[in-house]
Amino acid sequence: MTFDIQVIIDHLPEIASGFGLTILCTVVAALIAMVLGLFVALGLMSKAAVFRYPVRLYVEIIRGTPFLIQLFLLYYGGPSFGLYLEPIEAGIIGLAIYCSAYFAELFRSGFNSISLGQLEAAQIMGFSKISVLWRIQIPQMMVLITPGLVNICIILGKETTILSIVTVPELAFVLTGIGSETYAYAETLTVLAISYLILSELTARFGSWTEKRLSKYMERSI
Amino acid sequence: MLDFSTLPVALPLLWDGVQMTLFLSLMAVVLGLMVGVLMCLARLSSHYAVRFFAQLYISLFRGVPLLVQLMVTYYCLPLIGINIPALVAATACIGLCASAYMTEILRGGFLSLPTGQKESATMVGLNQFQVLLFIELPQVIRLTIPGIINEAILLVKASSLISAVGITELTRISQNLASSNFQPFEFYLTAAGIYFIINSMISAFGFWLEARINRRVIA
Amino acid sequence: MKTNKIVTPLKIALLGLTTVLAATSAQADVLSDVKSKGELIIGTELHFAPFDFLDNGKHAGLNKDFFTEVGKELGVKISYVDLPWPSVLPGLEASKFDMVGGPVTITKERMKRYNFSLPIADASVALLKRKGNSAVTKPEDIAGKPVGAGKGSSQAAQLEDFSTSLETPAEIKLYVDNNSAYSEIMTGRVVAVANSLPNIAYVASQHKNFEVVLPPFGKKTYYGYVTRKNTDSESLLKAINDIIVKMKADGRMEDIQVKWFGNPMDLPTDMIVPQI
Repeated sequence: MTFDIQVIIDHLPEIASGFGLTILCTVVAALIAMVLGLFVALGLMSKAAVFRYPVRLYVEIIRGTPFLIQLFLLYYGGPSFGLYLEPIEAGIIGLAIYCSAYFAELFRSGFNSISLGQLEAAQIMGFSKISVLWRIQIPQMMVLITPGLVNICIILGKETTILSIVTVPELAFVLTGIGSETYAYAETLTVLAISYLILSELTARFGSWTEKRLSKYMERSI
Repeated sequence: MLDFSTLPVALPLLWDGVQMTLFLSLMAVVLGLMVGVLMCLARLSSHYAVRFFAQLYISLFRGVPLLVQLMVTYYCLPLIGINIPALVAATACIGLCASAYMTEILRGGFLSLPTGQKESATMVGLNQFQVLLFIELPQVIRLTIPGIINEAILLVKASSLISAVGITELTRISQNLASSNFQPFEFYLTAAGIYFIINSMISAFGFWLEARINRRVIA
Repeated sequence: MKTNKIVTPLKIALLGLTTVLAATSAQADVLSDVKSKGELIIGTELHFAPFDFLDNGKHAGLNKDFFTEVGKELGVKISYVDLPWPSVLPGLEASKFDMVGGPVTITKERMKRYNFSLPIADASVALLKRKGNSAVTKPEDIAGKPVGAGKGSSQAAQLEDFSTSLETPAEIKLYVDNNSAYSEIMTGRVVAVANSLPNIAYVASQHKNFEVVLPPFGKKTYYGYVTRKNTDSESLLKAINDIIVKMKADGRMEDIQVKWFGNPMDLPTDMIVPQI
C-alpha cells in the first residue's frame, strides 16, 4: 500500500477552503440554532396549550428524522413552495433547524433546574420578566448546560459532511472529489478524519474553557 | 403533486430496510453500553495511563464522523491486509461510536452516586466487581435512562450512513426507490415518517421504563 | 435458471461474511474462486437506470439481464452489492466484490488503475432539459447558464471541457447523485444536466417532464465493466469479454439493447483506445 502525501499537498488550497467552509457553516449554524432553540424552549414551556403542542410536535419531528432527509426536502422540495435557497444557505438553515430542537430541550432542562423561589424573589424586588430571563435565568442555566451545548456543537460539526448532498463544497465534498479524481482514497480519508478530530477537539476545549470561566463568574456573583 | 401510488409495491423493500435499520441500531445500543461501561470505568480509574487511554478513545470516536470511520474501516484497512466483512465493520463502527457517547453519559451517572455507598457495600462483604454489577450499575442505568434513550434515537438516525459499506438499510432503500421511480419527495417523506414512528416508539419506551423503575424504587 | 435476485439486506450481510472468509483463504485466481464457490459478486449502484435500478420494487436493467446470461454461461449464481457511487471503486480495490457491474466510462486515467471489459454501451454526453424549454435547443445554448452534472463523473469532465470552448462558459454545478441533479431541472436551479445519452434517454422516456437535447457533444466515450488490474482478475475479464462476443454473435446482446435502449446499439468489437 502506498501513502502519497503529495496528493494532499497538491490540493492544499482546495482542502483549506473546504475546511474553512465547514467551520463557517458549523459556527454560523450553531449561533442561529442557539437563538432559535431559546425561542423554541420558551414555546415548550409556554402555559398556553395552543402554543405548547405545535412546538412540541416541531421538536419531536426534527429530532425523530435524519438530517439527510430534512436537508434534501428543504433544498430540493423547497422550490415547490417557492422557497429557493442557495446551497450554503440551505445547509446552514437546515443545520440550524436540526440543532435548534436539541438546544431547545437542553435549555428547557436548564430552565427547569432553577428554583422557583429565586424567580419570585427577583420579581418581588421589581425585576421585569425580561430582565429576570436575561440576568438571572440565562446566566445560571449556561453554567449547567455548557457540557450539553458542547456535545451538540460537536454533533453539529460532524453533520456538515451531509451538506455535500446539496452541493456545498465543504471539506467532505472536496476530499471525496479529490479521492475519486486521484484514487488516493486512504490519503483523503485520513485527512478528513484528522480535520474533524481537530474541529471536535477545539470545540471541546472551547467548551471546558467556557465552563471554567462561567463557574468562576458564578462564584463571584454569589 | 405528490403521488403515493407506487408505495404499496415498495412496502416489502422498505420493510427489509426497516429491519436492517432496527438491527443495526439495537446492536449499536447494546455494544455501545457494554463498551461504554468498560470505558467509563477506565475514564474514572485512578491510573493516569488508563485514564489517558479512555480519554483518547472518546476523543477519537466522538470526533471523527461515523461516515469517515466506516470508510476507513471498510476500504482502507484491507489495503494493509485487514479484511472485515461489511456487517461486522458497520456494527463495530456504529457500536464504538455509540460507546464513546455512552461513556460520557454513564460517567455522569457514576459521579452522581453517593460516596459512602461503596464503602458500606464492601463492608457487608461484597467484592469490588459485585458492588459494580449489583449496586452501582443498576442505579447508574436508572439515572441515565433519558440520556441513553436520547442516544438510541441519534443512533437510529446515524445508521442511515451505513449504506456507504454496501448494507442496504432504510435510507438507502428509500434513495433507490426515489431515483428508480423518480419520485424523490414521496419516498423521502415516507422514510421520514418511518424514522419518526420508530423514534417515537423508542421515546415512549423510555418514558414507560423511567416511570416503571421510579415506581419500583419508591415502593 | 440460477437464482438471480436481490437478496435481503441481512442475507447480503451474511453473504459478505462468507465472501471475506473465502477471499482471505484463497488469493489465487478470481475466476476459479468464483467457480469453486459458485457465485459471482457484482458491485453496482441501483440508481443507474436503465443499467441497474428498481422496477416495481425489483432489481432490473441491462446489467441485470447481461449478468443473468453470464451466470448461465459460467454456471454460477450472481449476487449484487448495492453501493453509493463514491464507494464503488474503493470497494473493488478493497476486494469487497469480484467486479464492478456499474458500468463505468472507459477513460485513460481509469485504464491506468483498472481493467475494462469490451464496450457495453455508448457513454457519449448529452443534455437533459425540462420538456419544452426553448432556451436550450442545442448544446451550445448552455453558454452562461447553470448546468448540472454528476460529481466525479467523466461526463462532468467533458461538460467542463465543452463549457470552456464556449464564448461564455456555463456555470457548472456538481451533484453527488445524478438524480438530485435531475430534480434540479424541475426546481429550475439548472437549465440542463449533462450525463451519458443512454441514461438521460431512459429518464426522458419514462418521465414526461424531461426531454433530451441532441446532438451529443464532446468526445465519443464508452461504458465498460471493471475488474481489478492484477493477474488474478485477468481470467475473469477474459471470460466476461468472451461472453460479450458470444452474446453479440447470437443476438442476445441486441435483444437486451432493444429492451433497454429502444434500439440496437452499434459498439466496437475490439478494446478501444479512450479519447479522454
